[in-house]
Amino acid sequence: MFIQNTWYVACQSHELTDKPLGRTICNQRIAFFRGLDNQPAAVQDFCPHRGAPLSLGKVCEGKLVCGYHGLEMGCDGKTVAMPGQRVRGFAPVKKFAVLERYGFVWVWPGDADLADESTMPVFEWFDNPHWAYGGGLYHIACDYRLMVDNLMDLTHETYVHATSIGQLEIDETPCKTTVDGDKVVTSRFMENIKAPPFWQMALRANDLPDDQLVDRWQICRFTPPSHVLIEVGVALAGKGGYQAAPEHKAYSVVVDFITPETDTSIHYFWGMVRQFKPNDQALTEQIRQGQGGIFAEDMQMLEQQQQNLLANPDRSLLMLNIDTGGVQSRRVIDRLLAQEQAASAQKVTA
Amino acid sequence: MSTPENPSVPDTDFEVEIASTGQVFPIPAGQSVLHTLMFEGFDIPFACEEGVCGSCLTGVKSGEVDHRDHYLTPEEQAANTQFMPCCSRARSAKLVLDL
Repeated sequence: MFIQNTWYVACQSHELTDKPLGRTICNQRIAFFRGLDNQPAAVQDFCPHRGAPLSLGKVCEGKLVCGYHGLEMGCDGKTVAMPGQRVRGFAPVKKFAVLERYGFVWVWPGDADLADESTMPVFEWFDNPHWAYGGGLYHIACDYRLMVDNLMDLTHETYVHATSIGQLEIDETPCKTTVDGDKVVTSRFMENIKAPPFWQMALRANDLPDDQLVDRWQICRFTPPSHVLIEVGVALAGKGGYQAAPEHKAYSVVVDFITPETDTSIHYFWGMVRQFKPNDQALTEQIRQGQGGIFAEDMQMLEQQQQNLLANPDRSLLMLNIDTGGVQSRRVIDRLLAQEQAASAQKVTA
Repeated sequence: MSTPENPSVPDTDFEVEIASTGQVFPIPAGQSVLHTLMFEGFDIPFACEEGVCGSCLTGVKSGEVDHRDHYLTPEEQAANTQFMPCCSRARSAKLVLDL
């Protein structure tokens, strides 16, 4: 079950070239392509002729041409033409609302008529010269909520990411979770600790010593449907921690856009934005490589966790104090899902 | 089948006559001309059976057609010289088909 009437990241802008892109999102097979003026479009990945995936075709003059028998599909889900055929009576396929923003193509998997551009989240750091972004995409075979759990409970860093960002102080320092409407925030502040290797690298990159004690923070912010933004950083100890002046700290925001593919798989758009040295592209790439390596460490854990859960569907799991962020995020998802289903049922009976 | 051109027009009984032989067949409400003629041994090509593909296009010599297809253009439908026996019916009591 997924929240459908909302924006999810469908792909990175550079993934959508002059060829169509087939991608399953929220259990729906969708063909993405660029119409006239390079604008992204998305239709059900199903040729109304014989059910072939339209994404195996090609894009020609803003239309998606089926690779099986040449049916030409328009951006609106209606057949435009087909060699040797009159297409007036061809049934349309579902069209999806899409928009391109922040270097991503976003899709609204639900009712395109309800798509609301004003509900697109606003991110101050994209398209902003004071910030730099680097990121990537992983396909992970797990329920999207397991990824939310993972990102809202960073004690796993100590074990999964022991050689890069993990350290025992994360486990030893209690976290605090607050809920404000649909937003869930779990934060943890650690003082006078040694910086782990990734943060030593970041300190050096920001021309700061890497061998001094630091104050470290992690502020995880969940927003629906499944975005998790995490403010992370270290400041030289005693300089004010999270509030320290920029010259005393290395800090960034981990950007996680989690797009459900199926009930048990996700497209995980991970990345990091930072304010220090935003024009240093080599540093952006170095951080991207580092983060990519660290985040790849979660995949095996999440995928085998999913297999365990599938094999033991009746087994109840422990919800500990470290799990409050994930628990509260799931409550928000469940509440919004119930609202959407109630609205949809009302529409059907109306 | 109702179409945008013919919203919820109820089916009525009518007859078709085969111009070349003079045979007359009743078309009861709820049964298509195509199915009736196939049952009577006529070999009419067809595919979609819903007025989309144009395979069963058949000439009309007289009678007024109730066009319910999506294949013919409005002008072609108005000319009343051909119809789709898979879905279209008659406004007159009889259609004489060019078969």
